[in-house]
Amino acid sequence: MAASSSYIEIDLALTQGGLALAVAARLGETAAVLGPSGAGKTTLLEAIAGLRRARGRVAVGGEVLQDSTAGIFLPPERRHLGYVPQEGALFPHLSVLRNLGFGRPRGSGRDPGFDALVATLDLEPLLARYPRHLSGGERRRVALARALLARPRLLLLDEPTSGLDPLRARKALAGILRVRAELAVPLLVVTHDQREALALASEVVLLEAGKVEAVGPAREVLRAPRQLALGNGGRWENVAAARLVGHHPEGGTTEVRLEGGEAVTIPHTPDLAPGAGLLLTIDAEDLLLATAPPHGLSARNAVAGEIDELIPVGTSVYVRVGPWIAHLTPAAVAELGLTAGTPVWLVAKTHSWRVVAG
Amino acid sequence: MAAGATLLLVLPGLAVAWVLSRPRFRFRALVETLVSLPLVLPPTAVGLGLLLLFGRSGPLGRLLYEELGIEVAFTWRGVVLASAVVAFPLFVRSARSSLEEIDPRLPAVARTLGRGPLAVFLEVELPLAWRGVTAGAVLAFARGLGEFGATILVAGNIPGRTQTLALALFQRVQVGRDREALGLAAISVLLAAAALVLSEALVHRRDRTLSR
Repeated sequence: MAASSSYIEIDLALTQGGLALAVAARLGETAAVLGPSGAGKTTLLEAIAGLRRARGRVAVGGEVLQDSTAGIFLPPERRHLGYVPQEGALFPHLSVLRNLGFGRPRGSGRDPGFDALVATLDLEPLLARYPRHLSGGERRRVALARALLARPRLLLLDEPTSGLDPLRARKALAGILRVRAELAVPLLVVTHDQREALALASEVVLLEAGKVEAVGPAREVLRAPRQLALGNGGRWENVAAARLVGHHPEGGTTEVRLEGGEAVTIPHTPDLAPGAGLLLTIDAEDLLLATAPPHGLSARNAVAGEIDELIPVGTSVYVRVGPWIAHLTPAAVAELGLTAGTPVWLVAKTHSWRVVAG
Repeated sequence: MAAGATLLLVLPGLAVAWVLSRPRFRFRALVETLVSLPLVLPPTAVGLGLLLLFGRSGPLGRLLYEELGIEVAFTWRGVVLASAVVAFPLFVRSARSSLEEIDPRLPAVARTLGRGPLAVFLEVELPLAWRGVTAGAVLAFARGLGEFGATILVAGNIPGRTQTLALALFQRVQVGRDREALGLAAISVLLAAAALVLSEALVHRRDRTLSR
C-alpha cells in the first residue's frame, strides 16, 4: 500500500457559496480527508467525482480524470469512481437487487463476484426489499455494494458511519474493512471522526475551512502537537487491530490478541466469533503508565514498552510508547522521571477498550 | 383536441421543466417568465400572438405551409396549438416541482455509476417524478377542454371542425338554446372535476409513498 504513494493526485480549487476550497495532495491507496463540518469535505468529494466543476487536476491510478490546463474534463460517468454519499442515497423506486445492478453491465446476472460481495456484506435477506424498508446500516451496506459492483478505480466514502448508533457504526466499519481486504479496492474517505480516519486510512489530509492544514501518514499527522490539542476536542483515541481469541462469559470478558502479539482482555462481546478480526480503541486518558511491572491492580491488561517521545501540549503531556499514546499531567511525568527511552508498562482496565469495527 | 394538445406539450414541457429544475441554470428568470406568460395574459392576446406567428402570412405559418403544406390557423391544428400553449405553464409547474423534490444525490450517484444525463433522466428522475408529471398532464388536459379565448382567434369557431366544448357552449347561449348550453356546461363540469380529482389523487399518493 505504501509503495504507491501517489495513487490519488488532487490539485483542485473552487469557490462555492462562501467557501474557497483549495486542495493539493498526493495520496496512496487508502486516504482520509479529516475536518470539521463546513470544511468542504463533501464539496471536495463531489469535485473529485466530477459532479461539481473545479479548476485543476485529478488523477487516479495514473489516469487523468481532469486537467484544466490540458482542457480535459471527464464527466462523472466516465471516471469509474465509486461514490457512496452520506446515508447511501439508494434509488427509492428500485429494489435492493436492482439498486445493486444499476452500475453493472446490462444483463450481468448473479456472477461469482456478485455472490461473494452479497455474502461478505450479508445482503441476501435484503435483495427483494425496497430502500424505505431498510435500516440506516442496511442502506449503507447496499450503497457500498452498489458502488463496488461497478468496479471502481477508487471508492469515495462520505461519512460512512454518521448517524448510526455505536453497534451499527461498528458493523459498517467492519464491512468496509472486509471488502477492502477482499477486493483490495483503493478508498478515499471523508470524515469528521479521527478514529474512523485511523481505522480506514493510512494517510490523512487535514482540511479546515477549505484549506489543507497537513498531509501525511495518518498517525504522524494526527499526533502532531497542534492536532493533539485541537483534534477531537483534545482527546486522543488509540486504534489497534486485533483478533478474537475466546470468550469468558462467566468473567464478563473476551480475550483478543493485538497485532503486536500482546493478549488483551476486553468487555464480553458475544456477537463476534473466535478468529474474527476487529479494531479496538482506547482513550489516551485511560492508559496508565507504570515504571515497574504492575501487581495487585484490578486492571487486567499490561503491555511492556519503551517511551519514544514526550509531546507537551499546553498543560498536558502526551507520552508515545510505540503505537500507543498516553495522556499524563506534567506532574506525573516529573514524579516518575519519564524521558525518552524509559522502559514502561502500559496498563488499561478491561472496560476502557471499545470495539470500533468487528 | 385537448388530448392532442396534451401530447403536443409533454415533451417540450418536460424539457423546460428539467432545465428549470437545475439549481445552477443561468437564465432561469427569463425562461420562467416566458413560460408563465400564457397563464397571466388574456387568452385572446395569446391567440392574437399565435395568429400573427402561424397565420398564412405569419413567419412560422408561411414556413409550415410552403415547406410542409401544413395549415394551422382556422384548422383543428390551430385548436390543438392554442390549447397546448395556454396549458403549457400548468404542466411545466407541476412537472418542475416534482423534479425539484428529488434528492439531488440520486441523479449524482447515477452519473457516477456510468449513466449519461439522458439515461439518468429516464431511469431515475422521470420514474421518481412521474406522479407530478402525470398530474400536470391531467391539469393541462382539463385546461385544454375549456380553452376559449386563444382558440377562437387562432382557429375560429367552425362547427364540427374547430368548435371546442367551450365555443359550442358560447354559441348555444348566443342563439338562445339554453337547454343544450346547460347540457354542455354539465359535461364540462364533469370532465373538469374528474381531471382535478385524478390530479389531486396522484399528487397525494406521491406525498405518501415518498415520505420515509
